[in-house]
Amino acid sequence: MNRALALVQSDAEAVLAGRTASLAALRGQHLFISGGTGFLGTWLLELVKVLNERHDFGLRVTVFSRNARAFASRWPHLGSVKWAAFLEGDIRYFSDLPRDVRYIIHAAALTDRRLFASQPGAVAETNSVGTLRLLRAANLLEDLQKFVLLSSGLVYGAQPWEQPQIDENFAGPLRCNEVNAVYAESKRFAEVVAQCAISESKLPVVTLRPFAFVGPYQSLQLPWAVTDFIRDSLNGGPIRIMGDGATVRSIMYASDYAFWVLAALAGGRARETYNVGSPEPIDLRARAGLITQYFSPVPEIRTRVGQVGHDRNRLVPSVAKAATELGLQVTVPLPEAIQRTITWHRHQQSS
Amino acid sequence: MSKLKVAILGTGNIGTDLLIKVLRSPVLECVLFAGRNLASPGMTKASLLGVTVSAKGLQGIVDRGAEIALVFDATSAEDHHKHAPVFARLGIKAVDLTPAKVGRMCVPAVNLAECLDLPNVNMITCGGQASIPLAYAIARANPSVEYIETISSIASRSAGPATRINLDEYLQTTENGLQLFAACERTKAILNLNPAQPCVHMQTTVMAKVPHPDLQATRAKVADMVARIRHYVPGYQLLLEPIVESGRLVTMVRVDGLGDYLPKYAGNLDIINCAAIAYAEAFARRAP
Amino acid sequence: MPTAHPHITVCDATLRDGSHAYSHQITLEQVRAYATASEAAGFAFVEVGHGNGLGASSLQVGESLVPEREMLRAAAGCLRRSKLSVHVIPGFATIKREIVNALEDGVALFRIGCHCTEADITQRHISYVRSVGRETWGVLMMSHMASKEVLLEESRKMQSYGAQGIVLMDSAGAYLPQDVSAKIGLLAEKLEVPVGFHAHNNLGLSIANSLAALEAGARIVDGTAKGFGAGAGNAPLELLAAVLQRQGYPTGIELYPALDAAELAAKLFAGSLPDSTGITIVSGLAGVFSAFSKPVQRAAKQLGVDPRDVFFELGRRKVVGGQEDLIIEVADELARRASSQPPARPRP
Repeated sequence: MNRALALVQSDAEAVLAGRTASLAALRGQHLFISGGTGFLGTWLLELVKVLNERHDFGLRVTVFSRNARAFASRWPHLGSVKWAAFLEGDIRYFSDLPRDVRYIIHAAALTDRRLFASQPGAVAETNSVGTLRLLRAANLLEDLQKFVLLSSGLVYGAQPWEQPQIDENFAGPLRCNEVNAVYAESKRFAEVVAQCAISESKLPVVTLRPFAFVGPYQSLQLPWAVTDFIRDSLNGGPIRIMGDGATVRSIMYASDYAFWVLAALAGGRARETYNVGSPEPIDLRARAGLITQYFSPVPEIRTRVGQVGHDRNRLVPSVAKAATELGLQVTVPLPEAIQRTITWHRHQQSS
Repeated sequence: MSKLKVAILGTGNIGTDLLIKVLRSPVLECVLFAGRNLASPGMTKASLLGVTVSAKGLQGIVDRGAEIALVFDATSAEDHHKHAPVFARLGIKAVDLTPAKVGRMCVPAVNLAECLDLPNVNMITCGGQASIPLAYAIARANPSVEYIETISSIASRSAGPATRINLDEYLQTTENGLQLFAACERTKAILNLNPAQPCVHMQTTVMAKVPHPDLQATRAKVADMVARIRHYVPGYQLLLEPIVESGRLVTMVRVDGLGDYLPKYAGNLDIINCAAIAYAEAFARRAP
Repeated sequence: MPTAHPHITVCDATLRDGSHAYSHQITLEQVRAYATASEAAGFAFVEVGHGNGLGASSLQVGESLVPEREMLRAAAGCLRRSKLSVHVIPGFATIKREIVNALEDGVALFRIGCHCTEADITQRHISYVRSVGRETWGVLMMSHMASKEVLLEESRKMQSYGAQGIVLMDSAGAYLPQDVSAKIGLLAEKLEVPVGFHAHNNLGLSIANSLAALEAGARIVDGTAKGFGAGAGNAPLELLAAVLQRQGYPTGIELYPALDAAELAAKLFAGSLPDSTGITIVSGLAGVFSAFSKPVQRAAKQLGVDPRDVFFELGRRKVVGGQEDLIIEVADELARRASSQPPARPRP
């Protein structure tokens, strides 16, 4: 077996080991995943694969995505399994769901930062209308048990520098009169649309607000700090940090992310909102250091390469609610997460 | 034999479910699916199914008036009042699924034959399609029915915003239908919305006050009526055959939907669509 | 030192909820006699009519002996300080057929109710009553079946339609005091309009729950003389009057006349006053509408099944008020099961 796939499989097995009881509600169910071929969607399929093949879950999955066919042939270990069906389409024109679907994960959205700049209108439309369409279709199901909406940690607006973490009740400043706001605002609108469905039709929606992640299957072409740093390190460096490297994030490994989403699907309380991510803050400089240590020679990290006065900011969730209500925790520490991600990319490059 | 060319006006849940039923019909052909919202899920579905769609609403029907023999109007009562004269002018038969009551009330199991020549027929209400035939059967078996009452319980989720805001009109229209078909002056309709999950299937009860009920005859008439309805509403089933309880003559049915576009629990929406299709098919079979 | 308590509006629902306990056979003489006594006691509102409200006289939930307009006019003629109120459930009552008449007959307050998750069906009726300048409240029935968040959302809908008060009904008598505190507490905190509670006594908690509601911020409570009402009855007004006086809540009620009104009700409705029985207890445990009590017993007797089994089955099916027709079906099904199979195992 391909070493990259083996790595992912062992991660999926590890995160599920001893924790399948909390997912028992999903046994024998039909799950629909919109955007099921993205980073999260792929990991969800990896976990379902282990649940079905090792734990006899009998879970059926319908994956809806713009590039379902390409995905299925690119990753045949997921694309050719009996328990998954792949539907190709545009979520903006979604019409109806398979009748026996009882669980839905709505992950379809435009999340590429480059698109926020080049096609902000498409981002606004896809992320809002797509949610509206899927909720409308969900309203025609016989016995919907749970609808998990993937929102974003960005809906909170700016986190004050002096506040270590933000919980689900936090509301920071957010400006809607600038195009940069399109992603956050599209997700905020998606959340309101879900609240409308809850109020009008009592749909059992659980809203998740994911923060930052790393792991196999994540494209290195996305202009995010972690993926940038890994890509630049794989290319021999250097890593360039515009400011002083004090910007703070927290990063969760993909297998934890996927498990948290499944756990929220199985056990999250309808109408509730949960942060999803790591509660451990780490600044940009330290993240870069975590990455470069796995390379030899160690790539150089250059700071303050940009204009003076580059913003410092912080985005770190409190995940106390998910921990108390759903018993969730981070199982893969960040150094290991980064190491495994780098190893996966190396396997990919060599295969 | 060529199929009868029909159009559907209104691309909401009712119109879309009708479309699926028309596409399955051996005698009907949908030549146009018209509404105002080209982006509605119904329009998307119709396009995917290869049906000609129009977002020009009534004008879409007018533009192709010459080739359309019958139109199902699944818009609203207010709109049907505007549409009806246009259909009449174009010589298009109208099957009205709104509570506009422009044309004669039609329950296929009861008065199909006498409605076939009319230019506009009204399908009353979902509760009416379920309860009126039972009331009619009870009235046929018992000459002196003093009072008839019908209670329908439907899943909350099968009652859309229009139904919810128009409960009073629903009750009034259903009561009028009962009066007409059961030839009974005093009637009452009651509607319950039940939010239970999984969604409850539609149930309709008919209760009657009859001085000396002929239970045997009532049972025979009701059984016969249920069999007739099942020809066009396969999910229509007798749950409680007529009994006398606390001085009330009571019978109860459950209506499972076909699950075409609408979910199976929405028997209330399915039955009115099945009735409309039964009418159109009968007309198609008779049309020269 | 006790803090100053706010004024509490006490609603006397004897001639409405009691209708259930009396198989809707309350006479005009009883209406006049009791309404006069209630007026003397100083209850803020006197609710009159069929147990299920305007337009509910039917084979489904029982026919009233006296046409509702006659009852309303008879009561209106006896009231001066106390105001006449009615219960209205869309789906039974319509604006044209009933509300318009009731306005004419002197009804001062329309309490528009629905199953606790269906507030949007009250929009037209609440708006209409407001538009003609009469007072209207929203009533969420069977409120034990929804979470406090859902109840808040539904209450806000009614508030937005123009409701000037929101009452949670414990129609099944299923609440424990901590449920009351949580639900009423949230509503009292978040709503602009006064919040009320309507208790049933299936689990013997009607007074305790009413008090919990007031302590959680409710400004309205319902009760009936001697608890005369559906199932195990309501919060007895004479006890409420005493407890509220003891707690120092101003209500405008005069104690002795309130006690006298209860004595009068005991005479007027002798033989039909509520009693705690195995059936009413099971009804509360199963969370079934209290008014199902009599029809369940009738159907169980006719079809030879245990009425307690009928209640548990109805609870399992999550029936709502107005679905009384399902009683016969359930009893019939249980009877068939019993005849073709060994007796069903007792349910919890």
